[in-house]
Order: sequence, then C-alpha cells, then structure tokens
Amino acid sequence: MNEKVQRRIFHYLKKNKIENFIGVPDSTLKHFIDECQKNNRIIISTREEEAIGIATGMTLSKSSSLVFMQNAGFANSISTITSLVQLYEIPLIFLIGWRGYLSDDAPEHLKIGKIQLDLLKIIGLKSKIITEKNWKTSCDWAFKQIKEKKPCVLVIRRMFHD
Amino acid sequence: MIRKEAIKIISENIGKNPIVSANGFMSRDLFEVNDKESNFYMIGSMGLASSIGLGIALKNPKKRVFVFDGDGNILMNLGSLVTIGSMVPKNLVHIVFDNSSHESTGGQPTQSSIIAIDKIAKSTNYIVFRTSSKKGLQKILKQIIKKSGPILVLVKINKSNRVSKRVSFTPIQIKNRFMKAIQ
Repeated sequence: MNEKVQRRIFHYLKKNKIENFIGVPDSTLKHFIDECQKNNRIIISTREEEAIGIATGMTLSKSSSLVFMQNAGFANSISTITSLVQLYEIPLIFLIGWRGYLSDDAPEHLKIGKIQLDLLKIIGLKSKIITEKNWKTSCDWAFKQIKEKKPCVLVIRRMFHD
Repeated sequence: MIRKEAIKIISENIGKNPIVSANGFMSRDLFEVNDKESNFYMIGSMGLASSIGLGIALKNPKKRVFVFDGDGNILMNLGSLVTIGSMVPKNLVHIVFDNSSHESTGGQPTQSSIIAIDKIAKSTNYIVFRTSSKKGLQKILKQIIKKSGPILVLVKINKSNRVSKRVSFTPIQIKNRFMKAIQ
C-alpha cells in the first residue's frame, strides 16, 4: 500500500476517535507507523501481546485503541486474543501487515503467510483486507465493529520485496 | 506471610483504587479476600496484568492504579518493565507477590530465587521496595503514598496449600463493573 494512503488512514482513524496506536513495527506498515509517530500518538511495545494488554487497559478506560503488528506477531498473540480480547469482548482494531502473501517472500514468512486468513477465521476474528481502493469503507466497517463491542482486523498485504 | 494475608493488607489499605490482578491463584485470592467492583480479574492471558495496568494508569492519571502480579507472571513479560520504566506512569504501583514458584500449577520453581525481580525493576527506573513481613508491608504502604511512580513493591511470600475459590463473575461482568467503577 502506498505511502500517501497509509498516512491518510492514520488521520481517518484519528478523526474517528481512535486515540491510541500501540504495537510492534512492521515494514509493510512503516508509513502508517511513521504518521502515528509524527502525531505523537504511538506506543512501541516490546512484544505484540504487551501491546494488546496496554490497548486493553486504555479501552477499559473508554479510550479507543488500535494495535499494529506483523502477522508473525499475530501468531505470537493468538492466546492473548482468545483469552483476553475475545473472552472479555474488548473492542480493539488490529492492523496486521501480511508477510508471506507473495509466495516468493522471505522463507521465514511463508508458512504463516500461507495460513494467515485461515488463522483469523479459525479463531473467529472478523477481518478485511484493506487496499488503496477500499480503505475508507474498510475503516468504517471497523468502527462499526468496535461500536458493537467486537474486536476486528484490518490486513495490509505485503506486495513488494526489499 | 502467605499471599492471601498480603493481599488483604494491601487491598484494604487502598480503598477504591483500581487493581488489575494476575491470573491463577492471585485473582482467586483477591476475589475471596476483598472483592470490589474496581478489581479487574485477569483470568487468562498470563503475563499481561502489568500491561493492562499501564494502559489504565496512562488514561486515569488522577487514580492510583495497582497491579497484583506474581513472579511467574512478570517473568513472562519482562519487556513490560522496560515499557513502564520508559513511560514513567506516576500513578502506577506494581506489586509482585514473589514465592519463587508457579503455585497455581503445582508449585514448580521459577528463577526468582536466583535473579531478583526488584533488581531488574530498579534498572528499568522503578522506585523499588522489598519486604517479607506484614509490618514491613504496612510501613511501605504508608511510604509510597507520597512517592511518584512507577513503584514496584516486591513482597516475598510463603507458599500455601489453601486454594481459594474461582472468580464467580463472568469475564463480561468483570469488565462491565470495572469500567463503571473507574469512570
């Protein structure tokens, strides 16, 4: 996803009362994360589960939060998602960079990348793949989800090599 | 001193200030000793009580937020000490009840008898206290009132065979009443 759209997504989320952006950096999301930093709205945690914990505490305090991570970190977080976020119905938005979407991505990403959408499905976490064309309606969908106290996921595919 | 006794002393001392309690026997003991709407019983997600507490502390600067952690719990999320130490939440009091064991799973050892958790916390900019007696704990609770956090109190406790009942509220009930209580 191009730089301009990533930066616009941050401002659209902020305008719609997402107040906290917490997570572990991912190169697929780097322009989005940079915009969070420029606007001083970011907490970079040591692990993804930690980010989910902090975001949960803020959400319990009625301050809406987004947690960003790479899909490797999503795999780390599955138990936290099932035994905290879903168990207590904490309405968080997850923004996940999808490594291993391209079948010739780096080898460490291929196995998880291949099952990324199945993983989301199997734990019952609703998701949308967010693109340069549908990003606004996907964000609106996410706002609706959290209003109904449902956590949800926006996925950005990694479409490039470096 | 066993965990239940230490929990009683602290929870009765701090009124309606929010408490985030770790999973396992910690939450069960707190529930049995002093159930309050301002208690958030974290029944799963081992390791994350201090992270949840940090989020609450940052958003509620006028309240003192207490985390009731265990040694096994915080050892699973040592990065949390780094994040908390760097963000300097003045209103966060992190209590670690340390029996150097995973008591909830049968008393298997942790390494906190070899590596001191309060020393780690000190190097991440916490103000640190340590005690193993009821009197010492009461004294620390008075001392910390005027101190600015993050504060870590390491309470050395003995293992116990008494097992408290499970938290009878559903997770959704725990959440709803907690959110109402901290408004």
